[in-house]
Amino acid sequence: MSSTVTIQDRQSKVTRWLLVPGIVWMSLFLVVPIAMIVYVSFWTQTTFNISSDPTLASWKQFFSSDTYTGSLWTTIRIWLIVLATTFIVGYPTALFVGLFVKSKTLSTVLLVVCVIPFWTSFLIRVLAWRPMLGKEGAINIVLLKLGIIQQPIEVLLFTELSVIIGMTQIYCVFMVGPIAFMLSRIDRNIIEAARDLGAGFGRIFWKIIFPLSLPGVVVGAIFVSVMVLGEFATSGALSGRKVNLLGNIIVTQVGSLKWAMASVVGVVLTIVMGVVIAGLLRIVDLKREL
Amino acid sequence: MESRFIKPALGVYVALFVLFLYGPFVVLTIISFQQGPDGGPQFPIVEWSTYWYRQVFGLTPPSRIAPLPFGEALIRSLVLALMTMVVSTVLGVMSAQAFRRSFKGSTFVFYLIVLGMMVPGVLTGLGTSLLANNIIGIERHWYTTAFATHVAYTFPFAFLVMLAILNRFDSSVEEAAWSLGVDPWTTFRKVTFPLIFPGVLSAMLFAFTLSLDEFPRTLFASGRDQTLPLAIYGTFSVEIHPNIFAFGVLTTLFSFALLSVYGILMALSVRRAKKMAMQEDIA
Amino acid sequence: MDTSVFRLEGVTKRYGDLVALNDASLEVGANEYLSFLGPSGSGKTTLLRVIAGFEAPETGRIFFDGRDITNVQAHERGIGFVFQNFALFPHLTVMQNVAFGLTNGKTRVPTPEAEGRAAEMIELVGLSGMEGRGVDQISGGQRQRVALARTLAMKPRLVLLDEPLGALDANLRSRMRNELRAIRERLGVTFLHVTGSETEALAMGDRVVVLDRGTIIQTGTPGEIYDRPASPDVAHFLNRFNLFEGTLSNGSFSASFGTIRAPAATRADRDCYAVRYDRVKVLPLSAKPADGPALKATYIASEYLGSSIMSFFDAGQGHLIEMEHHLSLGAPETYEPRQDYLLTWNPEQAIVFGREAAI
Repeated sequence: MSSTVTIQDRQSKVTRWLLVPGIVWMSLFLVVPIAMIVYVSFWTQTTFNISSDPTLASWKQFFSSDTYTGSLWTTIRIWLIVLATTFIVGYPTALFVGLFVKSKTLSTVLLVVCVIPFWTSFLIRVLAWRPMLGKEGAINIVLLKLGIIQQPIEVLLFTELSVIIGMTQIYCVFMVGPIAFMLSRIDRNIIEAARDLGAGFGRIFWKIIFPLSLPGVVVGAIFVSVMVLGEFATSGALSGRKVNLLGNIIVTQVGSLKWAMASVVGVVLTIVMGVVIAGLLRIVDLKREL
Repeated sequence: MESRFIKPALGVYVALFVLFLYGPFVVLTIISFQQGPDGGPQFPIVEWSTYWYRQVFGLTPPSRIAPLPFGEALIRSLVLALMTMVVSTVLGVMSAQAFRRSFKGSTFVFYLIVLGMMVPGVLTGLGTSLLANNIIGIERHWYTTAFATHVAYTFPFAFLVMLAILNRFDSSVEEAAWSLGVDPWTTFRKVTFPLIFPGVLSAMLFAFTLSLDEFPRTLFASGRDQTLPLAIYGTFSVEIHPNIFAFGVLTTLFSFALLSVYGILMALSVRRAKKMAMQEDIA
Repeated sequence: MDTSVFRLEGVTKRYGDLVALNDASLEVGANEYLSFLGPSGSGKTTLLRVIAGFEAPETGRIFFDGRDITNVQAHERGIGFVFQNFALFPHLTVMQNVAFGLTNGKTRVPTPEAEGRAAEMIELVGLSGMEGRGVDQISGGQRQRVALARTLAMKPRLVLLDEPLGALDANLRSRMRNELRAIRERLGVTFLHVTGSETEALAMGDRVVVLDRGTIIQTGTPGEIYDRPASPDVAHFLNRFNLFEGTLSNGSFSASFGTIRAPAATRADRDCYAVRYDRVKVLPLSAKPADGPALKATYIASEYLGSSIMSFFDAGQGHLIEMEHHLSLGAPETYEPRQDYLLTWNPEQAIVFGREAAI
């Protein structure tokens, strides 16, 4: 009988059908592919072929090769440096946009100004750093004209430095956004009250503003980490193949059809990623901050 | 007060920050007016010209520099972005709608969806191509495997946008429609959807932009036919010419045009949202 | 009752640990106007939402028009609902709002006919000429009427009103109250009206249902409720009684006014003595009442309410005693501020609650 179907049953049925397509899509095209990487990392790789016979060979090769382990450390080093530089470059901007700008129009304009560069293709934005940093690039020309340097600086392009500069510029906006959002939610009365009690700006900053903006810093750090850890295009384009991140190794391995090795590196990257994200999510509950 | 000079200092800092953000683009724009076809992608500017812009459109006589092979790639990218936009917005609206009721396992489903924006593209791309290539044994195409990874990437963004919109949605208008004997589906079409439309538009814009510029996932999952970012990546390995910069300037201008259309649509639907807000003020 | 339109049987609704409705049972007749009265959080809005089908109860059954509708979805119930915030469709005009249920509901009425019926309703609520306006271009009171017209256009036999007058100012409220009454006479609809205002509940309802903490604690005509509140809590929300804490023992009640016989006490979970504001009499301090209660209190001030005057007395320890004098009974006496008076009343007219009472 139809009358035994309660309203709650019907509502949970609706909820289920609304969720099924999304869950199926994410399982098939996200979870299964990642499981695939783990699975294939234990396959047997020969020069031109790959078979599903289980082996640890690729894993042993990864940990015995300086190229591979080196790329793991390079990835972690670049990630930490870029995390620091995006934070240092981004925080004061966020402070200005989120807290100091009183007019809502101006802060919207500033945020739009931050977002506009994203309307240029990511790869072209990366490429744009070449004429900027090169030996005859814009920075060297300006510095020479100003008489600050006598010889053009050559370490600017095709080094680790150029990768860091490029990544900082591309990703710092992801740090600015969440922090500015958090800062704009701070109740101005708290700051006024602290000022009335005679607290100086430094004290107010460290005791009130910074702690309240921390969730924004963490969300920003999640964004930047996700993007930097999986990077390979910026390092490929700006380092002249000198900086090899885990992503670059995957690309090269896939290029030479070494699927098993690519998968091993993929698993390593997944683990690094998982640890970083899980660690950051322990500090802040993403679902609650939204 | 100390903060009296902190604010101007920060203002100067922000100006420098904007310079840092835009510097490369300014340089890129300048060099896109380099003399052609012999001028290289660097300073100094030999002579100002629009040669490279004409070259992008194939209006220059053939030279040793091949025109950019972007025509078909651009069309593929636009089609892919449209497909991705439609599917991920539909999925995003559906899932966010489901999240309006609490249900068992909601945290699990939330993170399953959000995972899509957290997993690096290089991993999803690799995994999907392994699945297609080595397990199922099908060919990879931009409209199959790459499309699947694109949606898995943009759907979380659409979902989060819709979740934020629906969190603030006053459900009493829907209940009012039900109490008038209007079934939930008609209520959604006639009441809920028109009112959340500004949010849907943002979700669509997000999905479209992200897909249009998506690179790492597409690199592995798209097979033989290239999308636009792949075609651009292809020029990395060979010599770079200012034509790629001219192309960058053109695409940016195109994006601005698109943004303006979005802005106009948004302004139109914001008027509606204002009516909504006014009604809430009374309550 | 054969004319019963609507019946609730043992309805319970929980939100987690919070019991919003506890075993509520109720029967409503055709063309009846029922007011639900209770403090906020008493479960009165939950009750309406359960009846409308917006919330599903954990246990209990709901009957409407001789049909068990417990498992019927909101849009199939045919019960109208008027929201406190009106919940008009902001993207539609007045006409489109009122015709919405007709054109989009189960039996889709063709647009011309729907607009004809909607126009009648718009006329009924006195908004003719505003059909084409957006709902943001009309005032709060007009929105209220649109919300009402929108519901009535569906010709429901039962309309639920969730504090529909709460968002209006006092003037508009009393006008809307009269209009609601007139509409009900004309259309023969059963109204269930939730309100936090005791005046509104007593003025509007054929019967009043008093709720507290999710439980129906009293049901009766306004007269019954007013004369015989079922518990100290009901007496408290009615805002018409001076309450005295004390002890009831052996048929006598002892409190700050002395010890008085209380032969007809009502059973309650605590001992409490209630005297209606208009039962209090004021005597000079020198007077000696026969053997009734006598309470020394200091006069504070008076408030003119139109048809009556409220006078406030301090009985010590911050206990405020209110006295209402109906002007129809003669000119009010004047009292000296900060002077002591003797307050008394007829003990037969007092209501006594106690743990030892028989019923």
